[in-house]
Amino acid sequence: MSAGSGERIGEDMLCSTVREILAGTEKKYGPEDAIRYKISKNEIESKTYTQLKEDSESFSNVLKDMGEQGSHIAVIGMTSYAWLVTYFGTVNSGSVIVPLDVNLPAEDVCDLIARSDSTVFVYDEVRKDVAAIAKERCPKLKTIISMQQAEHDDHAYSFRKLLEEHRGGFDYDPQPDQLCTIMFTSGTTGKSKGVMLTHRNVAENATCLDMKIPERIVIMTVLPIHHAYCLSMDILKGVSLGAVICINDSLMRVAKNIKLFKPEMILMVPLMIETMAKKLEEASLLPAKIVKNQVFGKQFHTICSGGAYLDPSYIDLFKKYDITIQQGYGMTECAPVISVSQAWNIRKDAVGQLLPNCEAKTVDGELWVKGSSVMQGYYNMPEETAETLEDGWLKTGDLGYVDEDGFVYLTGRKKNLIITKNGENVSPEELENALSTNRLVGEVLVREKGGVIEAEIYPDQDYVKKKRIKDVREKLQEVIDEYNRTAAPQKKIYSLVVRDTEFEKTTTRKIKRF
Amino acid sequence: MFEKLVNIICNYVEVEPENIHPESRFMEDLGFTSFDFMSMLGEIEDEFDVEVEQTEAANIRTVQEAVDYLEKLTAES
Repeated sequence: MSAGSGERIGEDMLCSTVREILAGTEKKYGPEDAIRYKISKNEIESKTYTQLKEDSESFSNVLKDMGEQGSHIAVIGMTSYAWLVTYFGTVNSGSVIVPLDVNLPAEDVCDLIARSDSTVFVYDEVRKDVAAIAKERCPKLKTIISMQQAEHDDHAYSFRKLLEEHRGGFDYDPQPDQLCTIMFTSGTTGKSKGVMLTHRNVAENATCLDMKIPERIVIMTVLPIHHAYCLSMDILKGVSLGAVICINDSLMRVAKNIKLFKPEMILMVPLMIETMAKKLEEASLLPAKIVKNQVFGKQFHTICSGGAYLDPSYIDLFKKYDITIQQGYGMTECAPVISVSQAWNIRKDAVGQLLPNCEAKTVDGELWVKGSSVMQGYYNMPEETAETLEDGWLKTGDLGYVDEDGFVYLTGRKKNLIITKNGENVSPEELENALSTNRLVGEVLVREKGGVIEAEIYPDQDYVKKKRIKDVREKLQEVIDEYNRTAAPQKKIYSLVVRDTEFEKTTTRKIKRF
Repeated sequence: MFEKLVNIICNYVEVEPENIHPESRFMEDLGFTSFDFMSMLGEIEDEFDVEVEQTEAANIRTVQEAVDYLEKLTAES
């Protein structure tokens, strides 16, 4: 069965390049605020759509002058105005942006810079550790730019200074089928894969569906900026609507920043929704309206949920407080949204209705999708690409089906990948391999349990005897602690189960996962 | 300080105050999610009028470590 659905928007709203999105909104809302961010505890600074366009054109000029127009530009940092200028300036000049996870260990970041063939690295000072070693580790890297540094020096260019030196418009029209971005996502083999997306992939994903969100809406962006979901829905969708995009400076201060920026809508992952639900329910003796106004403010009305599966009971709970949750389903390989469940069109147990640019079918139980958002492949990984793409169809790795109206239902996962509640993909094999390097670990299985990553370990009995280890559990916990010390936050292990018998094996001597 | 922190902790997880000990680990023993923990740090900032350094706070694992860190912050301010 194959189905496609959703409400297609007017041709005037559909954009096929990122440049069209920004230029269209700038024309309409030029002098209005585009980005708001904190410069101190309670002080906000704003940039208009015209400033965003002009600054990004200045950055395009920088790349052109450096002979890097069309090159791969890696960027790392928390969400910031400079990050966004780097993004738009890069892709609108026909160059390829490579957004990197700000929480990755330095060695991993260097590996991704090298594997993406990036020649320019733009960094936030929070990752000066990477900047210090990047040139040595990445042979192709030529230029390093610091987002905060005031002056150029031998090591790095000053982002601010470069923009000042390269003022002026930039006239270039990227083509819809030109490569726009390489976004890294965890693979089942443990080695992350660079998802190649064109301008059409990302721009049409963000603009093909009319979600009935009013223009000039105030949104607050809280998710990590290197995520496809945040970039597509907060930034590109936001810009296409002429939204005021407020930057949350830390996950610690979501509640405080809601009071400061007064957003009407926030994009969240299920983990955040669960915490916010606790905050609402904490004061459940008070009238719902008062509680909602205290936690989210009077103006707030919508949460978009994505990145991982959300328990539908939260939709009802938030409804009590007059807050609508719109749930989405997708993956980076599909730029990323595949389906969206809208307030007026919710079907229980479905993860929403297919986007109008997407069709789907089920093959051997697995959901396959096709459409203008499906990636071009994994960068320099032809085998993995061939395993995932077939005649333009993307194999999602999810078991599921679509009904005749285009609603998507998921029944399980085919791929062995942990999707955490904050939308991170984690490969169990990668963690198992890391733990296995310790002699005490005989056999290990990593899985998700109760919202955290759990490792179940059968200790190496010979090693236990040889070393006369008395408290095996304590020693194994030390192994985990040592691993956690350098692991990325989403890969940390918070639960340990110690086995006293070997794992059950398949005929090929692999541990049975399920 | 410990008692004040226990009260805040109870806003995030369903654990009885008497079951929260200095050596309790936020994630493993008390069932905090990473976002619960971050939100609690924000609440601590307000409650104690201090500024939490996110990278330092990321190393906190137990309630006692949180108390120590908080005492250091309040002494500085």
